[in-house]
Amino acid sequence: MSAIAKKELREYFFSPIGYVILGVMLLLFGFFYSQVLFSQTTDLIPYIYNMLLSWIMVILIPLITMRTFSEEIRTKSDQGLLTAPVGVFSIVFGKFLAAFLMFAISLTATLIPAVIITFFSSPDWPRILCTYIGVLLCGIALIAIGVFISSLTQSQIVAAIATFGISMLLMLIGNLGNNVSASLQNVLNWISFQSRFQPFSNGILNIGSLVYFVSVAAVFLFLTARKLESRRWN
Amino acid sequence: MIEVKDLSKHYGENMALSHVSFSAGENTVIGFLGPNGAGKSTTMNIITGYISASEGSVEIGGHNTLDEPNEAKKLIGYLPEMPPLYTDMTVEEYLNFVYELKKVTLPRKKHLKEICALTRITNVSGRLIANLSKGYRQRVGIAQALIGNPPVLILDEPTVGLDPKQIIDVRNLIKGLGKNHTVILSSHILPEVQAVADRIIIINKGSLVANGTPYELEHGEHKGEQKTVVRLEGNPDEVGKTLRDIQGVLSVSNYGQKEPGVYEYEIDSRTGADPRRSVFGIASKRGWPILSMSNNEFSLEDVFLRLTGSTYISDNADASYVKDGARK
Repeated sequence: MSAIAKKELREYFFSPIGYVILGVMLLLFGFFYSQVLFSQTTDLIPYIYNMLLSWIMVILIPLITMRTFSEEIRTKSDQGLLTAPVGVFSIVFGKFLAAFLMFAISLTATLIPAVIITFFSSPDWPRILCTYIGVLLCGIALIAIGVFISSLTQSQIVAAIATFGISMLLMLIGNLGNNVSASLQNVLNWISFQSRFQPFSNGILNIGSLVYFVSVAAVFLFLTARKLESRRWN
Repeated sequence: MIEVKDLSKHYGENMALSHVSFSAGENTVIGFLGPNGAGKSTTMNIITGYISASEGSVEIGGHNTLDEPNEAKKLIGYLPEMPPLYTDMTVEEYLNFVYELKKVTLPRKKHLKEICALTRITNVSGRLIANLSKGYRQRVGIAQALIGNPPVLILDEPTVGLDPKQIIDVRNLIKGLGKNHTVILSSHILPEVQAVADRIIIINKGSLVANGTPYELEHGEHKGEQKTVVRLEGNPDEVGKTLRDIQGVLSVSNYGQKEPGVYEYEIDSRTGADPRRSVFGIASKRGWPILSMSNNEFSLEDVFLRLTGSTYISDNADASYVKDGARK
């Protein structure tokens, strides 16, 4: 597993994709963060993190996960992995771990402006860190979904677009139910990543949401492993 | 070392492999021969655990590939038809990755150095795989199969796309590896298999059609037969019919027109019933000029062509043309 995770991480940083992800992330974040500077108040910092990170996540994660399996399937290099003395779960988890680390590294870079502002003012750090934990947990679930989608297709573009679409749907699904029954609205809210993420952005470490995100990740990693196994039988 | 029992694989209604069984002992090179699409790669993919069989079992060193996949895979080094390379890595990085992936415990630097020397890739170890020639990529593919020094090596078309010198290099390498490994080598090129294999398995349309040493195959399949190849000018239907009537002749095959009005025939006959004198007598009586005539031993190529259905031989039937152009 560690060999695969190392190789994947290396690929992110030895190809343009890792730098594009970091660059886009910092550019967007820098642009919105400038609003904090213009408003001359640190009250907006948690709000910026909340808004930005949750939406950056939806854009960045498809870019991170799109190549995990689709590229291996396209070039048939998966033959090397699947005939090595390693279980499919190790392969899947190795790739997932590398994608998560890539995501976490790019997130960490966005903390730099808040750290700098700390020298001149006092931003609401507990709330910022809680938002970060929420983003990481939400990221775990979306990355697992992206890895699964990547195992379904040889095309990176298809994998990226499908992951983006599903991520958007999972974020917004709670807002789709204005004209539906209350019970359905509850179900949609229960599924909604946005509503699950909300407590973290309010500075609350919600165990229910934590379990939800981790469970979604576990289910999709399991499905990815089953998908790889099923290729042997087709 | 390898025990394949009753292996079958079907994709829906299409039977890719049908009840294939064979075994391989230690330190031997087995040539897996068959036309394209015969089922060679499918068999190899099942042996290595890349795909699963619909029926049957594979044991490597006593480990069943379904029950103990990782134990079985530890004993195998595999070069698929398309080497599983990561082109954005250097050769050295890639071999280090495979070393870690296979959880090899041999001293890393020494082991990788030996493999690079054996496969002659030391001089390109710092280069990106993307920038290597096809020949070097193939060697890197062989090198990754050798990592961990597995006792079984499975090489799927290892010389495909190589130039003649590289082919000779790879053949020599495989011969050397066969001294202390069990090597299964697949190819659809007969001389390739003939040059390195101790034993040949011929597979066709998913079924095993022959299994033996090159000598056994050459002398078993055509025991008691000889062939005469003759080129003569004349009406091919009439010539074919007349030649078949010669005493001792088993079959006559028409290889087609070689020069204007001149056709080539293969006459298979019982050993001892040399038809050359009779052919000469008939041809001179009918006014059919003979341009060439020779007696030949049956070669492995003849065996291969007959067994794989690209045969041209029509026993007691009308003369037919060779299908695959193998002798044109």
